[in-house]
Amino acid sequence: MVGAIIARVFYSLVGLSILFGLWWYGGWLLESNPATMGFADFGPGPTYDAIPYLFGEGIIQEASITSGSRLGIGLLLAIVTGIPIGILMGRSKVFKKLSNTPFQFLRMVSPLSWEPIAVIALPTWNQAIIFLISMAAVWPIAFATAAGLAKLDPAWFKVARNLGATWLDVLKEIILPAIAFDVLTGIRLALGVAWIVIVPAEFLGITSGLGYTIQDSRENLDYASLAVTILVIGVIGFLMDGICLAAIKRFSWHHK
Amino acid sequence: MTGTTTENPTRLKRSEWLQDHILYPSIGFGILIGLWALGGWLLAMSPETSNFTKFGLLPTLKAVPGLISSGYIAEHIWASGYRLAIGLILAILVGVPIGIAIGLSKITEQISNEPFQLLRMVSPLSWMPIVVFVFPKWDQAIIFLITVAAIWPVVYATAAGLKKVDPAWFKVSKNLGASFRQLLSEVIFPAIAFDIFTGIRLSLGIAWVVLVPAELLGVSSGLGYAIKDARETLAYDQLTAMVVVIGILGFILDSFVARMVKRYSWQRDL
Repeated sequence: MVGAIIARVFYSLVGLSILFGLWWYGGWLLESNPATMGFADFGPGPTYDAIPYLFGEGIIQEASITSGSRLGIGLLLAIVTGIPIGILMGRSKVFKKLSNTPFQFLRMVSPLSWEPIAVIALPTWNQAIIFLISMAAVWPIAFATAAGLAKLDPAWFKVARNLGATWLDVLKEIILPAIAFDVLTGIRLALGVAWIVIVPAEFLGITSGLGYTIQDSRENLDYASLAVTILVIGVIGFLMDGICLAAIKRFSWHHK
Repeated sequence: MTGTTTENPTRLKRSEWLQDHILYPSIGFGILIGLWALGGWLLAMSPETSNFTKFGLLPTLKAVPGLISSGYIAEHIWASGYRLAIGLILAILVGVPIGIAIGLSKITEQISNEPFQLLRMVSPLSWMPIVVFVFPKWDQAIIFLITVAAIWPVVYATAAGLKKVDPAWFKVSKNLGASFRQLLSEVIFPAIAFDIFTGIRLSLGIAWVVLVPAELLGVSSGLGYAIKDARETLAYDQLTAMVVVIGILGFILDSFVARMVKRYSWQRDL
């Protein structure tokens, strides 16, 4: 057991070291070629040097919190609308047949193409960004919820009804526990898409957030800050994805 | 007509098929179009928003024939389609071998896990400033962004597919004297084709999300550019027309890959 954990940590370190080595090598290549020397700040050394300043000034924290709150509200809205839609799709055959084509169509409208419309329709850019995140994140949650419900044994509902369960009891005691796993799987997918959408959504109109920081450091030719921001985006995404994954494992009742 | 009992079963099936594939989708789509028309009418009614009336259904429908006949839509579809196709092909060509390596070897899986998850969770568009410097052309930068976004679902779906393969099959084929290539073409690929296509479907969805913002900067062709162009010229009818084009095109591509997923499914209970 302990041996397995040590091996696990060892392999992770090896993997991360390889990634770091490749980054270092790339930086060295940039630095040694006179044509690309101007971009040498992308390398790990200058990036590391930029970290104290960016964190000391609170730039990274502020950007992360701003983006995080947009992401949080957007995901929350997607969950609050996506789960009921998914339950409707899973429980009502007619609703599923009616909604399938329009929903598939809306799902495949690339979220950023709503941006001009969202900016005009909503009073602030902040709300427009949150709308774009929700629009991207709602579909994986709705479809995962519906797929989870489709796997439920209809006999459970009969049993519950025979035992005198109310509609609310059925929801609380049967539906939600049974589909928690699928809903969380959907939320994990939604988080992935939302994380893709938030950066370009923050490129325009506003002056806060991780996407803006990327844009800003590019315009200032501050490549070290750019590399730090990319790293921060990767690490935050990695942590959020890890939390979702742990929650999925926790609520899984399919013991594989 | 005395009732359904006298109808023959194939006819019943056909009417059911018509209901499921024609009637219900049409009604559903009709509702969506109705909501759009209502929204446009509301915009037109209020004097504050009457500038935006062109977002409505009728102005958009009126704009479509002109956009088609002038070749505007076709031109931007080709530009985007080319980038999407090359980006996805590269993602598949690189992703499938990586997925096989992860699925077959526990050590590769453990070494690659953290670095790959970290790279996967770097929002693709944040690479944009770097790739613009690295690649001589914007076209290549966009293709790179699509590949970098689309590769991960292919990698992980391939790896997950391989894990479900019964290890006994490898033994059997080895005992029957199969070479590594035969193992690949006769056992591995048929077994994981379903998973690869599932991964490609997810990849397509993500590539489609990335394509539009990637085309908002630098280039003057493609669906993303068409959206930006319509906004800057305040041609709102053109804008909604392009949104609809993006939705329909995405829908068609997704349905096509979904069909491939079904076609290569050998797990009949799915």
